[in-house]
Amino acid sequence: MSDMNSIYEEEVLELLEKLESSLLLLEITPNDDGLVEEIFRSMHTIKGSSGMFGYDNVAAFVHNLESIYDQIREGKLETTKQLIDVTLTSLDHIKRIVKDPDLKDENNDLSQKKLTDQIISIMGEQALQVKNDLIEIKDDLVEKEILSYYISFIPNEDIFDNGTNPLFILDELFELGDCKIFPQFKNIENIEDFDPTKCLSFWELLIATKSSKEELKDVFLFVEGDSEIKIETLCNYNIVEVEPTKSFVTQLNKIECGNPINIEELKKIISDNPVQKNKKIIRSNSVKEFNKEVEDNLTQEKRISSIRVASDKLDSLMNIVSELVTTKASLSLYAENNPTPELEIISENVEKLSRQLRDTAFGMTLIPIKNIMNRFQRLIRDVSAELGKTIDFEIEGDETELDKNIIESLTDPLMHILRNSLDHGIESKDERQAVNKSPTGKILLKAFYSGPNVHIQIKDDGKGINPEIIKAKAVDKGLLSEDADLSEKEILDFIFHPGFSTVNEVTDVSGRGVGMDVVRRNINDIRGSVEIYSVVGVGTTLTIKLPLTLSIVDGLLVKIGSSNYVVPLSVVEKCHEVSYNKLDNLFNKLLLLDGEQIPFLNLREEFKITDGAPKITQIIIVNNEERKVAISVDNIIDEYQAVLKPISKYYKDQEFISGATILGDGTVALVLDTNKIVSKFSEQIKKTEKV
Amino acid sequence: MKEAVKEAETHKMTSYLSFLLDGEYFAVNVAKVIEILEVPNITKIPRAPEYMTGVINLRGSVLPIVDTRIKFGLPKIDFKVDTCIIVLDAEVEGETTKVGALVDAVLEVFDISEDKILPSPSINTNYNLDFISGMFRADDGFVMLLNMDEVFSVRDVQLFNNSNESQLDDEGDYGTEMHNN
Repeated sequence: MSDMNSIYEEEVLELLEKLESSLLLLEITPNDDGLVEEIFRSMHTIKGSSGMFGYDNVAAFVHNLESIYDQIREGKLETTKQLIDVTLTSLDHIKRIVKDPDLKDENNDLSQKKLTDQIISIMGEQALQVKNDLIEIKDDLVEKEILSYYISFIPNEDIFDNGTNPLFILDELFELGDCKIFPQFKNIENIEDFDPTKCLSFWELLIATKSSKEELKDVFLFVEGDSEIKIETLCNYNIVEVEPTKSFVTQLNKIECGNPINIEELKKIISDNPVQKNKKIIRSNSVKEFNKEVEDNLTQEKRISSIRVASDKLDSLMNIVSELVTTKASLSLYAENNPTPELEIISENVEKLSRQLRDTAFGMTLIPIKNIMNRFQRLIRDVSAELGKTIDFEIEGDETELDKNIIESLTDPLMHILRNSLDHGIESKDERQAVNKSPTGKILLKAFYSGPNVHIQIKDDGKGINPEIIKAKAVDKGLLSEDADLSEKEILDFIFHPGFSTVNEVTDVSGRGVGMDVVRRNINDIRGSVEIYSVVGVGTTLTIKLPLTLSIVDGLLVKIGSSNYVVPLSVVEKCHEVSYNKLDNLFNKLLLLDGEQIPFLNLREEFKITDGAPKITQIIIVNNEERKVAISVDNIIDEYQAVLKPISKYYKDQEFISGATILGDGTVALVLDTNKIVSKFSEQIKKTEKV
Repeated sequence: MKEAVKEAETHKMTSYLSFLLDGEYFAVNVAKVIEILEVPNITKIPRAPEYMTGVINLRGSVLPIVDTRIKFGLPKIDFKVDTCIIVLDAEVEGETTKVGALVDAVLEVFDISEDKILPSPSINTNYNLDFISGMFRADDGFVMLLNMDEVFSVRDVQLFNNSNESQLDDEGDYGTEMHNN
C-alpha cells in the first residue's frame, strides 16, 4: 500500500509543480483560455487520483478549487490577482496535506478551513454544492476525440495468488469504449502439465475510446507490477467501426481463438489508408479546436521521443559506468604489459566504447536547469510582494544542462542569493526614483556554458555593495586590521565569511548573516566556486561556476615522488620540460616560459618529498580563474579518466586533494585540487612580499 | 562443563581480537572489526598528519590507513611480514566510517565473560584512560581493551599521557593550518 501512496504522492507533487507554473503564467496573461483549461485539467486529475486513493480531504479541497476554474472557463468569473494568490496558497496547502491526509496536524486542519472559506467567498453568490463525503468524479472534460489503441495484457502466471481476477480489468476496459478482445493461451505441451492455479491466458485488445493512454494505463494500475502490459496508440479514429480497419477487425473475430493478432498488418492498413476525420463536434470556436488538435499531436510525439526513468536507476547506471571505466584501465594496463596485437585491438576498442558509453550515460543524467527555475519565479513573486517592490525577473539560458545531483544542491544557494538581491540589492521604489532609476527592479538569472564549466549569474540593478562599508564591518568584527591593503574584490569576498552580515536589523527575508557562507560552502561541496562583482549604485553580479559533472574527470596522470596524482585536464593549459636544477636556482620563483614570466610552484617541495628528484622535470601550466601558475611534477604518464571517489572524512582537512581514484593496477591516485593549490600559493606570495 | 554453561548464562561472553603494538597486547571488540588485510601498496597523502599513513584501495573504495603506533605515541610502524591492517568501523563526527589500523601483528580472537574484565587502571598509568574501556589478565600479562570509537574519532589526543614531543610539534604545526581552513 505504501507503494501506491508514493506513486500517488509523486504524481500529485508533479501536477502541483505544473499547476504552479501555469498559474504564474496566467497571472501575466489572464485571458489565456488554454491555460485555464490546462489548470482545470490538472486539478481535475489531482481530484481524481485523490479520490481513487482515498485521500478524501485532498479531493474535497481540490474540488472547490476546480469549481472556480470551471467557472472561469465558462466565462462566469474573472481571473484576479487575489484569485491567483489564493490558488497558490492552496497549492502549498495541498502539498502539505498530501503528507497528512487525515489532517492530524491542527495547522493543516485550520488552513484547510480558512482556505475553503476564501475559495467559497471568491465564488461569491455561486452556491457551492460540495458533498465532502461523496465526491463525484465526472468525466466532464472537454469533448475529447476518439483514439484507437492496441493493448496487450499478459498477466503474471501467479496473478491469482493475490486474488486478482484479470477479467475485472477487461470489464473495466469495456466500459471505456468500443472494445474487441482477443484471448490467447500460452502453450502447454502436455495436458498433465496444466496447473489450474496458474493464469495461462493472456489478452490482446483493440479499443476505441475517448480516454487517454494514461487513463488506460490506470486501469492496470494494480497489476502493472508483475504483468506485461503494452499500450500502443494506433490511430485517431474508431478502429472497430470505421473502414478500412473495420473489415480487418471483423475478420479477426472469425480467426480461431488463440491466434495472435497480426498487429503489424493492422498498422500497415492504417498507415496506407489515411482516413478523413469524421465531422468533429465543433464548438463555438473552431480555431481553438484546431489548436488543441495540434497540441495533442505534439504531446503524442513527445511521448514517443522520451521516456521517464527512475533517478536511482540512473544513479546505478552511473556507478556501473564508473566501475567499467576503472576496469577498462586495468585492461589497458594488462594489454600494455602483455603486448599481443589482438589484445591491443580489443583493449583499444573497449576504451573507445567505454568513453562513448560514459558520455552517453552522462548525457542522460544531465537535466536542464529549467527544472528548478519555476521555484524561483514563485519566490520572486512572493517575496517582492512582501517587500512592496516590483521586480522584473528574467531568466536566460534555462535550457543549459547540468548533472542532476548538482542541480539538486544548487536550489538552496540560488534561493538564498535571490532573496538577498531582493531584500538588500534592489532598493525600495522611492529610493529608486530618487536616483533616477525605473521603479521596477531588474533581476537577471543567466546560465551558460563556459568551457568545461557552467556559469550561473544572478545580476540585479540595485544599489550594489559599498566596499568601504564591508571593510569597516570587517575591521569592526576583528576580521581585518585597519591598515590592511586589500583589493576591492578581496574586500567583497568578506560577505562569504561566516557570521558576516551588513544589515543591522534582521528581516524575515534575509539578514541573519548565516547566508552567504553557507552558499559558498554548498557550492564548494559540489566543486564549484562563487564570485561577487558589484558597482555601487549600478548593481551586483554573483557568478557561480560549476563543473558539468561530479563523478568522472578527465585528467593527466602524473607522478611526484612515489605517488601518482591526477591533474584535471580542464585547468591544464600547456606542458613543458625543464631541467630540475633550473628550478632550484630560481631566485624569484618566476619561470620564463614562451616569453612569459609565470609564477611557479614546486610540488615536490610543497609535498615535502626530498628523495630522488629527476634530472628533467615536467612543468604543467594550470590556468586558475585569475592567474596562470606553473606546477612541477616528476613525470607525466598519460591521459586518464579518473572516477572520483571521496577520500575519507579523515582527510577532509586535506586542502590540496579533491578526491582519489583507483588506477588500473589497483593502486590509488590522488586528484589534485589545483584551484586550492593556486589560491594557497597566492597567499604565500603575498606574505613573502610583505616580509 | 556444566559450570561453564552456567557461567555463560549469568555473564555475557564477548569476543575480542587481540593484537600486538610495540610488544604490548591490545584488543578490540570483534563487533567493530570488519576484516584483516595484508599490507598492500599504500598511497601517501602529502602534508597529512604523520599518523595518517595514506589510503589504499579496498575493493573499489578508498580506505584511510592510520599508523596506530604513531597515534598512540609510539615510534612509527616498521613494516614486517606480520604487519597487517585491521579494518574497523569507527565513528567520526557521528558517522560510521571505515578505517584501517596498522598493527604489528594480529594474535587471536578470544571470548571472555564480562566479569573477567577489570576496570581501567586508575592510578600509576601512562595511558590516556579515555581510550581504555577495561583490561584483562592473560597468561603472559595484561591485555588492554580499547575503546575504538574514541581512539579514532579524536584527532590530536594521545594514548600516552607522556607523549613524545616531536610528535606534538608535528601535529601542532599541522593543526594551525587546519584551523585556518
